[in-house]
Amino acid sequence: MDHERPVPEGRAPDERTPDRRFPRWVYGVGTEPDARFSLANERTFLAWARTGLALLAGGVALEALDLPVEPALRLAAAVVLIALGTLAPAVAWWGWSRAERAMRRSDPLPAPVGFGLLVGGVGVAGVLVLLGLLRA
Amino acid sequence: MTAPAHPSLAAERTALAWRRTALGLVGGSVAAGRLLVETWGVVAWAVTAAGTVIAVVLLRAARRRRTGVHGRQRSHLDTAAQRTVGRDPGGRLVTACAAALVLLGGAALVVVLTWHG
Repeated sequence: MDHERPVPEGRAPDERTPDRRFPRWVYGVGTEPDARFSLANERTFLAWARTGLALLAGGVALEALDLPVEPALRLAAAVVLIALGTLAPAVAWWGWSRAERAMRRSDPLPAPVGFGLLVGGVGVAGVLVLLGLLRA
Repeated sequence: MTAPAHPSLAAERTALAWRRTALGLVGGSVAAGRLLVETWGVVAWAVTAAGTVIAVVLLRAARRRRTGVHGRQRSHLDTAAQRTVGRDPGGRLVTACAAALVLLGGAALVVVLTWHG
């Protein structure tokens, strides 16, 4: 049944085909995990990506909307948010690849990275905006 | 077991997550274009166009990435997860998406820092 079906490009039909999937340091080790776990790992990455987008939007909006916040503090808050929004997809990629690698090797999942940074950064940005509102 | 057991559901949730992300990118770039148009004029709409193009590319890549998976599942509803879903397509799209968003963040930082000066 499967032999009559053309295999979609980019997907190997079985383990005998050379595995060229990127990145090699993830796919070059271990055995194939349950696909549902890989899919869940991908969704976690995407949730981080959306969080990053929201942080970027918040930072840009803060500067763009001419809010009654003291300008220097407002700019500082915007920079913190945008820096977090820039880091988030990078951290997400790092977490995605480490989790995928751990699943392939049947290792325990690595501890999540970036939560502290995210929460701390958003807290700092909030305090800056609050101070800026009081000083305006 | 009450948890959704079939991998096609997981594949569908993942496809939806890609769509939400692409939608966020389109929404963000439209908003950015609207906000920047007063300072940058027509160039601002280039930002919107770029964001939309990236979103469309992500959507198309994500769809092609999982259609094979989905088609196969439907025809083998009772086989094991590994066989029905086939092999994970790898990390190229995830990497490209992360790289695009990091570049976008860098651009946003430049925009905000040069806004008033």
